[in-house]
Amino acid sequence: MSTIPRVSSALAGEPPHFAAVLAHQPEIAQSFFALYGRFWQSEVLSARIKEVARMRNARVTECGFCRNVRFDKALAEGLGEEVVEDITDGYETSAKLTDAEKAALKFTDALIHDPELLNGDARAALQRHFTPKQIAELGLGVSLFLALAKALIIMGLEPESMERTVLPTPAVLEPAA
Amino acid sequence: MSAVCAALAGDPLLQRHYADFCSKTEAALDPVLVALVRRAVAAVHGLGDAPDEAGLDAGTRAALAYARRIPFEHTAISDAEAAALVAHLGEARFVAFSVLAALADAECRAALVGLPALAAG
Repeated sequence: MSTIPRVSSALAGEPPHFAAVLAHQPEIAQSFFALYGRFWQSEVLSARIKEVARMRNARVTECGFCRNVRFDKALAEGLGEEVVEDITDGYETSAKLTDAEKAALKFTDALIHDPELLNGDARAALQRHFTPKQIAELGLGVSLFLALAKALIIMGLEPESMERTVLPTPAVLEPAA
Repeated sequence: MSAVCAALAGDPLLQRHYADFCSKTEAALDPVLVALVRRAVAAVHGLGDAPDEAGLDAGTRAALAYARRIPFEHTAISDAEAAALVAHLGEARFVAFSVLAALADAECRAALVGLPALAAG
């Protein structure tokens, strides 16, 4: 996996991080950040569940940037590092993750890795813990996490090294047109 | 309509935002290339036939070969492969292409997991 940026920054004075590269396409960037803010600020599904799914995606796709970023809203909802450490293979036996989080993780694995993982029991657990509207939001989130991680990697935007970084949770920018 | 968009039927605001993001991404590229990339990625997932590449120029064929690697080999794409595509598309369209192909992959996976049915209850 390359850590050499394959695209230059479109923002003067900024290194080629994701937002600076996406700025080559301002309309895509504006639309993405509006969507991402709306998704993260929606209260249909907790930020903690979204972050659990994002952390799993980061590990499976090998996105080092995603893996080292934490969003503050999920931290405020109690998602500490002792829980994040369990979002790895074998999470099914974790005593720190809730049953709902394990169901969300199985769905995440099914979407990003192997749809066969969402077998009868896993599907029933997902539907027991989440409403259809919550599943839709989780599906949107996992799809975005996956696409963004892959786009970031194929554009060569993986950092050589990165400290764990807590960022403000993406905010709503503007109403949808 | 994509699987993700269909699943968001119960949340028109998020659905509108997602549809806008997809349409802005597609609008940055030649519509023929957009359709070819979507078909090429879907075919990797077993969702339909691969596009007919007869008559396509070498650059477009290389772009499709690149897109086909994203579902299962995204970490193996080399700097040289990426540089060739940047040279063909230019930086701005390479950015749009990367987002489009990665979104196409995610949407196929959402369809394979049955997201619209799960979201319908």
